Amino acid sequence: MILDDLAFRLNEYSGEEGTTFDALVTERGILEVVCSNNDEFPIHLTTTETQLLSVTPLFSVAEVQPDRLDELNRTFLQLSPAVPLSSIGLQGDTYILFGSMALSTRFEVVAHELEVQAENTIDVLEAVEHLLA
Amino acid sequence: MGVLRDMLTALRGGASEVGEAIVDANAIRILEQEIRDAEAAIGSAKQSLTRMKSSEIKLKREMATLDADVADYEQKAVAALNAGEEALATEVAERIAELESDRNDKGSEQAALDAEINKIHAMIKARERTIQKNKRELDKVRTVQELQRATESVSRNFAATGSSSHRVSAALERVKAKQENWQDRMQAGEWLEGEEAGDDIDAKLRAKGIGASGSGGANDVLARLKARQAG
Repeated sequence: MILDDLAFRLNEYSGEEGTTFDALVTERGILEVVCSNNDEFPIHLTTTETQLLSVTPLFSVAEVQPDRLDELNRTFLQLSPAVPLSSIGLQGDTYILFGSMALSTRFEVVAHELEVQAENTIDVLEAVEHLLA
Repeated sequence: MGVLRDMLTALRGGASEVGEAIVDANAIRILEQEIRDAEAAIGSAKQSLTRMKSSEIKLKREMATLDADVADYEQKAVAALNAGEEALATEVAERIAELESDRNDKGSEQAALDAEINKIHAMIKARERTIQKNKRELDKVRTVQELQRATESVSRNFAATGSSSHRVSAALERVKAKQENWQDRMQAGEWLEGEEAGDDIDAKLRAKGIGASGSGGANDVLARLKARQAG
């Protein structure tokens, strides 16, 4: 299984910028990765037939100041092109940062993308922090 | 039919919980069935292609034989004419006409077969497009399903802690504190490296007898004591 292999390799790996990873496959078959450059917002990985999906749940709609929801959504739409490796989306009631890669992506590239996604998470949250309750 | 619109309708309807169908299960079954049908059709089309190819090879061989026969009889007709055998030459010419008519029949048969083969190739391409398109549609559905699955476990935690305000701000602060801490340690590391490099220079200078004489150990102490005694 690709996620088990990925977990094993991530745990052994240290990125170019010194980032390390704690990776664990959950009972439900999701790979949970904590990057050392952002250990508060873990990345969840899963696969389809063709893609590796990486998801960082950010916060729920309930955590947004109710009268500033539109402003938040607009801000996210504006921010999205500025974080090219990650997209911002809404999944149910949860805002997420996510990326997708081909299943054939080289391990070092996957590790780098995770590092960047962890970094982007901080940037994006800082940009909208003032709109949260 | 695009699945994106279906998905949006389902999501607007509140099908955000995992396990709830974000796309009508029937729609997925139809896509999968179309893929299977197209794959089966391609399989049988390839079998017909093989059969047609062997018919074509046979036709070409027969046409080549007829061409050779025509050429052969033409030579013989000319020879008969040269020998003044007009009647015989006419007979041979009739035979040639028969052979040529036969060859033309086979020629048009081959043309029809070629057209059929082209049609089958086009059909295979069209089916393959259907397969690729349906697979892409299915992948969209799977992507959303997987995103839901990957988001769900954490969303539950949000629900549990969601009431505590400033959760995100607090987490951000902790991350930033750790990063600063890390940067401080990096700077401390650099400082230490610098110090150690400095020590090296001092050591080199001492080795050359330049700079601080420092403590010369027991010999110096003894010399000092002796000097004090003498004084």
